[in-house]
Amino acid sequence: METLQKRIKELIGNLQDFYLLSYQGGAGMLRRPFYFRDMIEQMDYAGSGSLVIIVLISLFIGMALSLQLSAELSRLGMKMYTGKIVGISIIREIGPVLTGLVFAGRVGSGMASELGSMVLGHQVDTLRVFGVDPVKKLVTPRILSAILMLPVLTIIGDCVSLLGAYYIAVFVSHQSGTFFWSSIRDILIYENVLAGSIKPFIFGSLIACISCYMGLSTKGGAIGLRRTTTRAVVVSFIAIIVADFILTRVLLYVLGFSV
Amino acid sequence: MIEFDRVSFSYGNRFVLNDLSFSVHENERVAILGGSGDGKTTILKLIIGLLRPDSGKILIDGEDITEKTEDELRDIRIKFSMVFQDGALFDSLSVKENVAFPLREYTGMTEEEIDRKATELLRRVGLEQAVGHMPEELSGGMHRRVAIMRSMAAFEPKMFLYDEATTGLDPVSADVICKLILDISGQGGGFIIVTHKIFDAFRLANRFMFLKGGGIIFDGGRETLLGSTIPEIRIFLRELNVNHNG
Ligand SMILES: Nc1ncnc2c1ncn2[C@@H]1O[C@H](COP(=O)(O)OP(=O)(O)OP(=O)(O)O)[C@@H](O)[C@H]1O
Ligand SMILES: [Mg+2]
Repeated sequence: METLQKRIKELIGNLQDFYLLSYQGGAGMLRRPFYFRDMIEQMDYAGSGSLVIIVLISLFIGMALSLQLSAELSRLGMKMYTGKIVGISIIREIGPVLTGLVFAGRVGSGMASELGSMVLGHQVDTLRVFGVDPVKKLVTPRILSAILMLPVLTIIGDCVSLLGAYYIAVFVSHQSGTFFWSSIRDILIYENVLAGSIKPFIFGSLIACISCYMGLSTKGGAIGLRRTTTRAVVVSFIAIIVADFILTRVLLYVLGFSV
Repeated sequence: MIEFDRVSFSYGNRFVLNDLSFSVHENERVAILGGSGDGKTTILKLIIGLLRPDSGKILIDGEDITEKTEDELRDIRIKFSMVFQDGALFDSLSVKENVAFPLREYTGMTEEEIDRKATELLRRVGLEQAVGHMPEELSGGMHRRVAIMRSMAAFEPKMFLYDEATTGLDPVSADVICKLILDISGQGGGFIIVTHKIFDAFRLANRFMFLKGGGIIFDGGRETLLGSTIPEIRIFLRELNVNHNG
């Protein structure tokens, strides 16, 4: 009982620290000094560094989805709906979530382990000794880069997925290419695009805040670093999936879809 | 210059320092000895305000630093030159950029002046060849030399703090570091070196504190340390005999 109480207290303490760090990290965007060089470096790491893997994964998911749907829909004689269903699932749901998960696995884990080893190697202490606020120097550029790069990667991923889906629909399932594209165009309405593009902003800030928080609270040598990295990824994954559900619910409601 | 007044410190529920009191003057050369995990690094971090004590006061030049904000601590920190365990160079920056870092943050120098000063500092420790290297390409001894130069680049330190400056180095590199430490402090300059290598401590310091179980169990000069009968200290002194005979 007592240990449970202690753990709950600890959890609440950690959550408080997490909110504080996220707030300070975010507020750092509005106050000088700005560390542009660090931001560009982070954007490069997060963005161009993740491009290849996101393109690859998106392509195959798009193709697989298209195959599944073509097979099932043609049994029902509704093959021509493939484009529409694939398009909606990718733009509103699969694209943002998948890109977010890959981003968390690749970039979030990198942020956490880098900051963690900076903590263990006293590099963060050194920054403070030199009068540099570690939150501004390390956390703010990472939050910004995630908020900016994840939406871009998501859009690229969506496009590639749709191309993959198109390839399967037209060349494997022998549907009409013009019809496929026109049904994609039909679903590129404001509601769908909005629903799909709000998510990566939220996911990006969640991933960066969680990973930086985990990284900066690293202690206990190599084992501690392992724990940090694992936790950053696991917590980010859960946060993305839960946030996705909540966002979907809210967005459907706000945009006036009836379920 | 440094005064600890009944300072206690713990990480969460793990007690590290217990009711610690001592003071160090500006030109003293102190070695803080102790085993791994006895809180040596913690003491240095308390001195420059990186950690706050749970209770007690820490006075630097008579000013209590325990309630100061991070901004106010800047004025305290420039009085010191702190070299962390293993050097703590920023591994994303080149050697020269590491030395230039505090110059950029603390001084109004132009890029040209910063460049000149950084190169000059590195030349002083014989590392002019390594300016463009990344920290990972340096040996342990070179690493420490860069770190020492970086720590004093922008400040005019009254006191140098070294955390395990020679630990993990071969005797020759350790010797270079010891000479550098003595050279930097010149005639009257003081420093605190934290170490568990008693041989280097003897070369550098003339006052010794021994940390154990959260308190100072010994504080005195060379002769009294050599004559001490405290068992832990005898174990440390054994290393000295080996060094002398062998
Ligand atoms: N951030 C931290 N969180 C929790 N415990 C810590 C933290 N940093 C240090 N400790 C613990 O506090 C104790 C004192 O740490 P400190 O780093 O001051 O020891 P040290 O005397 O410098 O040891 P070493 O010779 O290994 O450097 C150690 O037992 C360590 O495990
Ligand atoms: Mg230490």
